[in-house]
Amino acid sequence: MPSTDSHSPIIGDRPAYDAVIVGASLAGCATAIGLGRAGLRVAVVEKQPDPKAYKRMCSHFIQASGVPAIERLGLLEPMEAAGAVRPRMHMWTKWGWIQAPPERAVRGVDLRREILDPMVRAAAAETPGVEMMLGWSAERLLRDGGNFAGVVTRNREGEERELRGRLTIGADGRDSRVAELSEVPVKTFPHNRIAYGGYFEGPLPRHFPDGLIWFLDPHWAAAFPTDSELTFYAAMPTKERLPEFKADPEAALVKFLGNVPEPPPIRESRAIEPVIGKIDMTNRMRKPVAPGLALIGDAALATDPLFGVGCGWAFQSAEWLAQSILPALQGDELLEQGLERYRRRHRRELRGHAFFIHDYATGRRMSPAERLIFSAAARDARSAELMEAFGTRQIRPEQMMPRALPRALAVNARHALAR
Amino acid sequence: MSGVERKSLLAGGTRTRLVHAGPTEASEAVVFVHGNPGSADDWVGLAGAAAKAGKRAVAFDLPDFGETIAPAGFEHDVPGYAGFVNAARTELGIERVHLVLHDFGGPIGLVWAAMHPDAVASVTLINTGLLPGYRWHILARIWRAPVLGELFQATATRRSFRFLLNRKEPRGLPREFVEAMYDHYDRRTRRAVLALYRATDDPGGMSEALVQLFAERQVPALVIWGEHDAYLPWSFAERQRDAFPAAEVHVLPASGHWPFADAPETVERLLTEFLAGSGGEASF
Repeated sequence: MPSTDSHSPIIGDRPAYDAVIVGASLAGCATAIGLGRAGLRVAVVEKQPDPKAYKRMCSHFIQASGVPAIERLGLLEPMEAAGAVRPRMHMWTKWGWIQAPPERAVRGVDLRREILDPMVRAAAAETPGVEMMLGWSAERLLRDGGNFAGVVTRNREGEERELRGRLTIGADGRDSRVAELSEVPVKTFPHNRIAYGGYFEGPLPRHFPDGLIWFLDPHWAAAFPTDSELTFYAAMPTKERLPEFKADPEAALVKFLGNVPEPPPIRESRAIEPVIGKIDMTNRMRKPVAPGLALIGDAALATDPLFGVGCGWAFQSAEWLAQSILPALQGDELLEQGLERYRRRHRRELRGHAFFIHDYATGRRMSPAERLIFSAAARDARSAELMEAFGTRQIRPEQMMPRALPRALAVNARHALAR
Repeated sequence: MSGVERKSLLAGGTRTRLVHAGPTEASEAVVFVHGNPGSADDWVGLAGAAAKAGKRAVAFDLPDFGETIAPAGFEHDVPGYAGFVNAARTELGIERVHLVLHDFGGPIGLVWAAMHPDAVASVTLINTGLLPGYRWHILARIWRAPVLGELFQATATRRSFRFLLNRKEPRGLPREFVEAMYDHYDRRTRRAVLALYRATDDPGGMSEALVQLFAERQVPALVIWGEHDAYLPWSFAERQRDAFPAAEVHVLPASGHWPFADAPETVERLLTEFLAGSGGEASF
């Protein structure tokens, strides 16, 4: 992977970089590609020195909402060539399976992070104008008056470098150091589930390559097929189930998924690596901009992994930011105008989803309105289509509710009368 | 269910309905004990599954449940029912027992097991078991209250029965299962329920002594518990390990109080796998 050591922090009185990105995972690299292709100079700082590093605790599921952004980056074809599968979604509820008509259902994309992360990182590193600094972590933020103006980075030998940029971008995940240093406002929302998962080889789940989700209310389980005929099995029970998962994660995962209704073939499968878990998944919603600074991906909104939105939203928020700030970085408007445009876009697209996700992350059971909509979706194709469009984040809650609720009332009334 | 026969059996002065499957003469058998309200019918599917796994399987109505009438003077309490279980298995010539218990069948079967430990090959607990510290659920408290209990039973209609049974069941119970249960919930059964609950002041009372007894004997055990049980909380599932340290515990995430009705395939699989692995090799 190309990288460079030729850093020139300041060129005259102008910052060396248009953007300094902290974090070379999906969001950071996607932004770097977008800005680099527009002719801008971008530094990407990543504390992991290994170009093949990848996020381990991830379901790898990319909702359909994220696919167009991936396609525009030119990554969809390479992903498919690397074995990515294109799943639709099937959701088990106590009222039955929710399955949008196949010809109408949209498809996500699934590729293990082990393959995806290095691929995206390589694409960023190969983009003209992008300098990849692996093995460097962000230590301090630089300020220029009231604006953030880059970062001071340090490598493992203790060497420090100052990277000045017109825009500093935090793409460093849920526990973002950039967010912490910039002290942007953050709201946290409790999470009362645990997440355990791992890759298995064995018989393929039915409907392969489609993803299967069980809404066990309040628990959740999933089988996500991926490349190499592997399946990622995951369980997200409430924290009452923690002792058995802590005692033996793999046995507990196999037992849990083996006992769901219409279980996937996990009992006939073999884990190819240790099943791992995450216990603290407090939701964090940060203000995604500050003067001279923007947050993307999990750094801006680290939300419940239950709904598999993290990877898709990483690509999407990266694209929204790149599109929003390009005019400013190209000198056509003030930077704060571009940042404000990004803030509004981020808020409009994700705030409603986040509200519902955070509310359900408490580990509560479904509300009466949710029961109404889910039951209707299990009984009616059009309702299933709406649910699927919402679940894959194609439409926002305010777009879904006015259509889904009246229909759900009618569907359930018909169902009750027919009994 | 193919391979399952229905017969009648005279045991301890009670003529009961018998569900039978598998090798008729085997001295080792799976003995199913139902709960309240329940009957031998609860076990038809599982008896067939056990028979397919090569086991003899028997299930019977407890006196005054199902279609079985208790003889005069029958004691509607746990020791009385445990005595009936023993009479039935003796009559059937069963020497080694794989107990499968549900609901109130738990205390009944476990008391029988404590009285005949050498005859126990294994124990399967389905939403039941030893319940230290358990406080009766609301329906039981109503049944135990004089007058209120009678009033409640007298006014239980098919519709209200159906509603109550399904009220907190996560998936709803099969219609025919609930209807058959109500068909058996006649005046005799209603009176028996009141008597049984009123005779059982402390459902967790004997737990300590039984825990010690079973733990010492290392009885093979399978615990299956529907997580959404509105009557007996699933938190008791893991606690069965106090008595059965090697127990295999399965908490079914989408089941309620009757897992064999709302997740029959899963319960059948778990039971047959367990029986295959505990083929009468208990260390007694």
